[in-house]
Amino acid sequence: MKNYIIALASITYAMKAQTLLRTSGIKCDVIRTPKNLASGCGYSIKAWGDIEKIAAILESGGIVQRGITEGS
Amino acid sequence: MINFDNSATTFPKPRSVKAAAALALERYGGNPGRSGHALSLKAAEAVFSARKNIAEMFSAEPENVIFTLNCTHALNLAIKGIVKPSDHVIISSFEHNSVARPVYAMSKTGVKFSIAEVFPEDKLTLASFRALIRPETKAIICTAGSNVTGQILPFREIAEIAAENKLCFIVDGAQACGVIPISMSDGINVLCTAGHKALYGPTGTGLLITDGKYPISPIIQGGTGSTSVELEQPTFLPDALESGTVNTAGIIALNAGVSYVKRLTPERIYRYESELCRRFISGIAPLANVIIYRENGASYLPIVLFNIRGMPSNETASRLSDMGFALRGGLHCSGLAHKSIGTLPDGGVRFAPSTLNKPEEVDGLIHAVKKLAK
Repeated sequence: MKNYIIALASITYAMKAQTLLRTSGIKCDVIRTPKNLASGCGYSIKAWGDIEKIAAILESGGIVQRGITEGS
Repeated sequence: MINFDNSATTFPKPRSVKAAAALALERYGGNPGRSGHALSLKAAEAVFSARKNIAEMFSAEPENVIFTLNCTHALNLAIKGIVKPSDHVIISSFEHNSVARPVYAMSKTGVKFSIAEVFPEDKLTLASFRALIRPETKAIICTAGSNVTGQILPFREIAEIAAENKLCFIVDGAQACGVIPISMSDGINVLCTAGHKALYGPTGTGLLITDGKYPISPIIQGGTGSTSVELEQPTFLPDALESGTVNTAGIIALNAGVSYVKRLTPERIYRYESELCRRFISGIAPLANVIIYRENGASYLPIVLFNIRGMPSNETASRLSDMGFALRGGLHCSGLAHKSIGTLPDGGVRFAPSTLNKPEEVDGLIHAVKKLAK
């Protein structure tokens, strides 16, 4: 299954994203943002599944995103 | 010592709160939101869990729950972050100094303020707020319930007045949160409260909860663990208003306190503590030398202000302390409220029970007051 790393504005958004995605049955973890995705320290959510569904959940939660990349 | 000074801070705390504080210090030692290692993430999860629990209780989004040192800190953030020098604000005649002093301090730099008189009848209180609105009015800032007499202000109706006039409504919920149902869905834009009072958290915890409609400029800038390459303070919440490491252990314990209140429900807490107040009033009201500051027609939080004629309030409180009862005399950091009810300069003695007080403890206090009031 494909996975995606979505850089988020803060640890709070990362935790909120994790809660919302897991509630919807999507496997995910909070990780440090890789340096190729966004500068400075920050947190990302690594999620496995359909990116459109993932993005829709994050948007519905008002989660501020800073970048996205396909994971390995 | 039996504590009836729970309006200052609740004590003792529920067992679950004490256990959570101990567990936090033992197991949640990482700095939340500052690192990627497991200790840090575990602490961050615990802090977020508290944010989510509190957000659910007050009908807010988790990121709009800001942890502060206390209610005074939260009110200063809200008032100084929203009100600008050319603005006019309205406060009530029952305000604690945590509202009155920041507003007064800002009046020296151009902010204008008016004081709406609070009456026992809500319709008169509402009329006094309405009458003070001007074209340049930015906000109404008022308590949901007085920390001096316990009188509940008609905050839902004041919220309607604020909304009709496009004013920001900032509420001091220090005494009300946890005791009566109150939430952002009551039309509140910013709700400030203490964590250590009726939410049963430890001292050093407070909350600012916003609906996000009125941006709050930070009065403190610093490390947030986010957008660190930029010198500009983040504008998103909670980071904009939460610079520096948060009080992890305090927040985890506060979360346990909030869960305790949710389990009991504010409605049941209000009924139980109000019954303790009725018991106290019925015990001391027949005493000829006792004055109780309650008005017909008004609604009250479970707080009773009283005095013994001819005895300064601090002396009464001191003598009750010698007899094993903790009550607060004096002015309760609210000269405005005491002025409003005519108890300046001496103030009064405040009885404020918690969920952990027992009826027989109230009976003991009644007996002690009877001895002093002879």
